[in-house]
Amino acid sequence: MSMRPFGYQDKILLLQHGSTELLALAQRRGAQLHKLLSGTGIFEQDLHKPHGRLHHTDWLKLLQNCQQQLNSPELPYLLGNALLNSRYISLCQSLQYAQNLRQALAQLYYFRHQLFPCFYVRLYQQQHCIVVEFKPALGLANQQGFMQTVVFSLLLGLIKQQLGSVCGISLQLQQAASHQLQHQLHWGVDVSFNQSADCISIPLALWQQRFIDADTLKFTATRRTCRQLNRVLSKQRALPESICRLQRRALPQLLNQDQVATVLGLSSSSLKRQLSQHNTNFATLLDEVRRDAARQLLQQGRYSNRQLALKLGYSDEHNFRRAFKRWTGLIPSSFKGLFHFN
Amino acid sequence: MWRQHRYKMLFSLLLLLSGLLLAIDTGDAKPGNEFDWLDILGEGTTLLVACGWLGLIISSRPAGRVTEWLYYGSLLLVYSYFLDLLDEFIRYPDHIRLMSWLESLPAPVGMLVLTYGLIGWHREQRAINRQLRGRELFLRDHQLIDPLTQLYGIEYLQAVLQREIELHQSQRKALSLLILDIDNFAAFNRQHGMASGDAYLSQLSELLSNQLRYSDVVCRYAGDRFIALLPNTALPQANIMAQHLRQQLSQLAIEKQQPQLTLVEMAVQQNSAKSALHAADQAMALAKKTATLSLQPI
Repeated sequence: MSMRPFGYQDKILLLQHGSTELLALAQRRGAQLHKLLSGTGIFEQDLHKPHGRLHHTDWLKLLQNCQQQLNSPELPYLLGNALLNSRYISLCQSLQYAQNLRQALAQLYYFRHQLFPCFYVRLYQQQHCIVVEFKPALGLANQQGFMQTVVFSLLLGLIKQQLGSVCGISLQLQQAASHQLQHQLHWGVDVSFNQSADCISIPLALWQQRFIDADTLKFTATRRTCRQLNRVLSKQRALPESICRLQRRALPQLLNQDQVATVLGLSSSSLKRQLSQHNTNFATLLDEVRRDAARQLLQQGRYSNRQLALKLGYSDEHNFRRAFKRWTGLIPSSFKGLFHFN
Repeated sequence: MWRQHRYKMLFSLLLLLSGLLLAIDTGDAKPGNEFDWLDILGEGTTLLVACGWLGLIISSRPAGRVTEWLYYGSLLLVYSYFLDLLDEFIRYPDHIRLMSWLESLPAPVGMLVLTYGLIGWHREQRAINRQLRGRELFLRDHQLIDPLTQLYGIEYLQAVLQREIELHQSQRKALSLLILDIDNFAAFNRQHGMASGDAYLSQLSELLSNQLRYSDVVCRYAGDRFIALLPNTALPQANIMAQHLRQQLSQLAIEKQQPQLTLVEMAVQQNSAKSALHAADQAMALAKKTATLSLQPI
């Protein structure tokens, strides 16, 4: 944890890694550029500079402007595909030259700060699938659904393009069933709604299947470009993500705010201030960490409530049960039942 | 519209002709100095106005029950006024009362029939208004037009299809769908960039809406799939339209690099929009598999 997490005011995104594509898509659908850019710190003349950058807040504002200006539900799906096929994003090009899905996703995850600093993932195996669970790494306001759709479109687009089909893949989304039709038409995979996390589960067989455009030389070359880009966009993580990771590692003992601030090299008050810029606070993050840990432990094995309470750093079983009821609306035993009978 | 009423017009002409013959047969012409020009002017205008009503009904109303009432009501009026005008020029012998009956009886009966028809028309208009209002509200609530192609999207298609299925089933008319799919559009986008993909989509949608009839509803069903709703069209007719469209598509596509298209026509026999669209998807999948219906615009 030597890297300092990026603050809310750091320009961590390249304009060419999404903004130009998004603006082009929106403009072709009749939106006006100055209206799209209003309220963001982006200037029109910077748009085509190769290393023009923007804040993540500007990106969120841009997304919001697009949705206000246009009524085009296909936008996030198209943006995902546009990113995947953009000639200016060497990370996306490298994905297409990877040997297989495993290598591509490892590459994407390693360089994710260049494209999707707003998500981090956890992997676990479930029956014959590996489940990739997406967690927001920073405050996404109300754009989490949009960004999630962009990422899933990119992944599914890559798989469809390189492996020919998305058979066997399924998605679990936290959101209520709203864009069912759009999801069905654009993705063609099973989507379930109102789940406890945003996940994509990919059958084991697909992970090692060779990509159609696999090319070791080109892959190495594009990866080198990505590395060079790292000098401009240093490999930083968002503050909420860093805290969640620290806490996760520290379980069952949990760090208090001062300890976390010390580890991250911040003062306690600036930690507080920066978290409030992400629209969250320390206690909420802590609660989220425990919730996810509890859910994963329950999915993996049969723990008693006492064991779970211990593992999650609760002082007694009763507190754990109460917290669990608050998270899921179920008591732990019925949640377990839900899983093991399915 | 008047083509639907040919027999009615023929019948009216025969009726008026028979009135004329009857009048000439029974009476004889008045001498010129007995003409009352003021009467002729008044009765002539009334006749002309009634004829105008007949013309309006014929040119604006589809064949149907309400139209029939309106038409025959007006026709009786016209007949009555016609004989009324004739007796300005022809004098009938005093002992024959038939002509004066024919002159005065049809008018009140015609008025009653016309009124009944107007009541029917009023009811019909109210039903249409109700339906239109529902539709308009729906359109205002959701902005359902796709900004790129300016076509309606899938939500609108589902709503309209459901309504049309109900309407067509109650009227026992045939409803068909045309489904157009761009083969391998993702690869096209990848090769030529999203901008040319978007340009192609708007070009294609323009062509579709130009080539189809005014009554057809073209919708963008998915990113690369269009569906046209053909009301009051049986499968053979839809077949012809599909052939025509295929020709147009292949003629108008100039560049060689444009993607292949698959066009399928389908008669809607399902009871709900959902199952009909599902069947459309299946028909498209089958067509892609066999690839007999695909065309290559060169």
